[in-house]
Amino acid sequence: MLTPFLHRKRKAAQALADSLHAAGSARDVVVRTKQIYGTRLLVRGLLWMSIYALARGLLMMDVEPAALRVGVALMPVPFFVWWLWTWMSGVAQLDELERRIELEALAFAFPLAVILLMTLGLLDIAVALNPDDFSLRHIWAMMPVLYYVGLWRARRRYL
Amino acid sequence: MKNRLKVLRAERDWSQQELADQLGVSRQTINAIETEKYDPSLPLALKLGKLFGLCVEKIFTLEETATESRRH
Repeated sequence: MLTPFLHRKRKAAQALADSLHAAGSARDVVVRTKQIYGTRLLVRGLLWMSIYALARGLLMMDVEPAALRVGVALMPVPFFVWWLWTWMSGVAQLDELERRIELEALAFAFPLAVILLMTLGLLDIAVALNPDDFSLRHIWAMMPVLYYVGLWRARRRYL
Repeated sequence: MKNRLKVLRAERDWSQQELADQLGVSRQTINAIETEKYDPSLPLALKLGKLFGLCVEKIFTLEETATESRRH
């Protein structure tokens, strides 16, 4: 009586072993992508932020001439592009649910960032906001915060 | 969308991770599909059908279709 059951079990186990062998690298790809994507993104992000901090520090020291100041201000851009390329290539390799989560996080963060900037722009006309609190050098930091809030919402929804 | 993924997986004694490995997706994706928080893409649904040896409609059903078939 148990024979058909055991036979079916054995068949299922064999099918699983075959599929695992065939898709052996699939799991490696997912895990490896996460590892590389996470570590590379973090390292390049830290490099970008370090260059940003350096540029900001140099500009606070009132370096002259103006052309040099512009050069220093643009210093973080190539590092940002490098970080962005890492992010984009990492997202392209994520599985479909993780890509959906990224999309929803950005779909949440982008309009909020636009509304934030628009509202601050109008408030600036209305009451002239203090540039020490509301200048672009402070406001940009809100963008990653909005993205992480979006990421948290999307993860909570799906995971 | 309703699905029978959890039942089909349990019938074969596969863990979520084992099923995810065969499909090349994360375990979280399988969990989200099973808990009906996420509807898979057509290629992933077809891969699931192929893996279980069933057509997609036998694994996934629209909520209204499921309600209608219960009524009949």
